Amino acid sequence: MGNTLQVVIIISLTLMVIGLAMVLAMGGFGFTVPPSSVRSLATIFLNTTFNLDTKYRYVSAMSPEAVTAIVWDYRGLDTLFETSVMFIAIVGALAISRGASEKLLKGFSKTRGGMSLIVKTITRIIIVMIASVGLSITLHGHLTPGGGFQGGATIAVAPMLLIITFSIYLFSKMITVSKAVTLRSIGLIGIALSAFIVLIIAILHGDLAYIFQNQPKLYSHYGLPSYAEVMVLGGTLLLFNTFETLAVAFGFTALFILFILPEEVVKDIIKGEE
Amino acid sequence: MEVEPFLFNIVVLSLFVNIAMSLYGVFVRPSLIKKIISLTIFSDTINTLVIVVGFRHAIPNPIPPVVIEIPPPPQYLRQFVLQAVDPLPQALVLTAIVIGLAVLLFLMFTTLQIYRIYGTTDVRKISRLRG
Repeated sequence: MGNTLQVVIIISLTLMVIGLAMVLAMGGFGFTVPPSSVRSLATIFLNTTFNLDTKYRYVSAMSPEAVTAIVWDYRGLDTLFETSVMFIAIVGALAISRGASEKLLKGFSKTRGGMSLIVKTITRIIIVMIASVGLSITLHGHLTPGGGFQGGATIAVAPMLLIITFSIYLFSKMITVSKAVTLRSIGLIGIALSAFIVLIIAILHGDLAYIFQNQPKLYSHYGLPSYAEVMVLGGTLLLFNTFETLAVAFGFTALFILFILPEEVVKDIIKGEE
Repeated sequence: MEVEPFLFNIVVLSLFVNIAMSLYGVFVRPSLIKKIISLTIFSDTINTLVIVVGFRHAIPNPIPPVVIEIPPPPQYLRQFVLQAVDPLPQALVLTAIVIGLAVLLFLMFTTLQIYRIYGTTDVRKISRLRG
């Protein structure tokens, strides 16, 4: 790369910062200080996220947590397609690995590697903590900040730790790539079924409902129980969060296994047959 | 100048500088690993900027968009709407982070394969390769 090009890039990036700062100073973003009012769309979301009033009963998502309500109720279809983006990224990574899997480790049956006894014992304790924190984030997703994505990403830390401390040789005896991919597919099927579950219930009663419906609406009086005196159950949000956790956690687990495969094992596969 | 707008503008300006620096890394650094690191910093900065756009000024302080009193009395909900921050940017960023993680792993896989096959992650050397 030439020296001139580098100078040009630095100058243009500096100009970009100055331009963005100008836009901010002239009020191009709509604010120079945090505004004291939110947008009217946000007012609607905040007003209807959990409202037992008869006026709002049929538009409320009945989830105390507005973010989860938006993610899986108001904009549920949007999130479904975002999940499919993640699905495609993971499928692409699996395809690039050219069929390399933990089966290659069979030839290397020695259980070498792994860290010292102290690290292994500490990891055994920590894994339980990570899993319980992740599950709590997931299952309280409709009550407190958190949800399926965050819980899944938290739980996905556990296999990474296990692989590093116990070595891939031992870990691949517990969870294989195909097992992880199967569990992930179960999660995706669960998400698809949760999208249709209210419709299925309505058809069983001889009526119709919307796809991605959570609570009873004006023209379709079916919905999953969401609020039963003091207990908030969350309707379909709880199902969505649980299955999303399964999909995210095991999708990342499969990728981590493929990522950590030792170099000498995958070398033959990578070279491929000419 | 008042202190509050000054500090807020400093935060937003530092995010702009961060964007410029990460873009410099993506454009100029020859190593693919460095490019991926810069790209991660870039996406995280954009996420933070989106969160900042959803922030609000409230007396005495803004609260997260979570209803705490169940069932909520109308009086509480009125106060809640006056104080809670915008939940929509948070919902968008939440999915963006996980998708970013998946795309990051995909890029890492591609880079690892390139390194295994060609023995380098330098884009100048990779662009000269044939076949």
